[in-house]
Amino acid sequence: MSAAALPLVSAEQLPPELHDLLNSADGAAFEQALDALVRQREQHLFRALGQLARDLHDAVRRLGNDLAQEGVPGRVADVRKHLNDVLEMSAQAAHRSIDFAERMSPEADALAQNAERVLDAVAADAPAAALARQAGSFAASCRDGLNDMVMAQSWQDLSGQRIKKVVNFIESVESSLLELVHLTGALSGREPPPVVEKISGQDEADRLLSEFGF
Amino acid sequence: MKILVVDDFSTMRRIVRNQLVELGFTNTLIQEADDGNSALTMLRAQPFDLVVTDWNMPNMTGIDLLRTIRAEASLKGLPVLMVTAENNRDQIIAAAQAGVNGYIVKPFNAATLKEKLTKIFERIAAAGAGA
Repeated sequence: MSAAALPLVSAEQLPPELHDLLNSADGAAFEQALDALVRQREQHLFRALGQLARDLHDAVRRLGNDLAQEGVPGRVADVRKHLNDVLEMSAQAAHRSIDFAERMSPEADALAQNAERVLDAVAADAPAAALARQAGSFAASCRDGLNDMVMAQSWQDLSGQRIKKVVNFIESVESSLLELVHLTGALSGREPPPVVEKISGQDEADRLLSEFGF
Repeated sequence: MKILVVDDFSTMRRIVRNQLVELGFTNTLIQEADDGNSALTMLRAQPFDLVVTDWNMPNMTGIDLLRTIRAEASLKGLPVLMVTAENNRDQIIAAAQAGVNGYIVKPFNAATLKEKLTKIFERIAAAGAGA
């Protein structure tokens, strides 16, 4: 049953002091008694609120400390970077596939044209004609296949858009976490984590290794 | 003929460009922009015959680009084809209400692109003949 549906308190259910006061002609005494009652209730409320505020403060401080100690804000930034790397690498891979298709398409066209020329020049039953027909149909299916391959690269755009959404979400979580950690002062006086230097590829690895006599 | 392809993903710009060439737009100058803002700058600087745009882009989205084009006296007649992964009913309705000329949902194939482009150019030709 909801609170709104409860019947109002009847005069008989009131504490006797209040009942007497309600029925007395002494308006000032009634006001005083009512004030005292309200103050008593407020004090309970304020004590409870104070306790809540202290608990919340402790919990936030503990959480901020834990997050800072475990390097969570930094790790979140790393995760964001990993996803951006995936985005970049997948774009490169898709471009390489399109590069390949763009390079091979003119070759397929040239093969088809050469096959046509051979068919014009030789007798229809010559062995070269059979080979030219086969080359022509191979060139045509190559063109179709290469075009399909270009279209198939749209996976990069579709998956990339989802990755971007996740990166944006992580960014907002990251800034909230940093704000929390800063608020609790957990970062003050703490050493920043060491920066891990990464190399960009095999060439740089070889250069680095050569400095050590490899 | 000049076509502007607008998409924040370079892969998709290249795919659309490839398909346009594949469909026979060989004597066409195809230019690219990576969001609505840079597209607008290009559209205001030189005349184009068609805009093929994505929806979801940073700075200025495709729908805002479309609305801006329709609101600008010198651009409002420009055909706009939307090619987007956005497939919400409300978004398609919003694009239609904003005056889009065609709407293609990604991933699309060459046949769909050809069909929508043919429709757009047929309507332009019909409007031109009627004028």
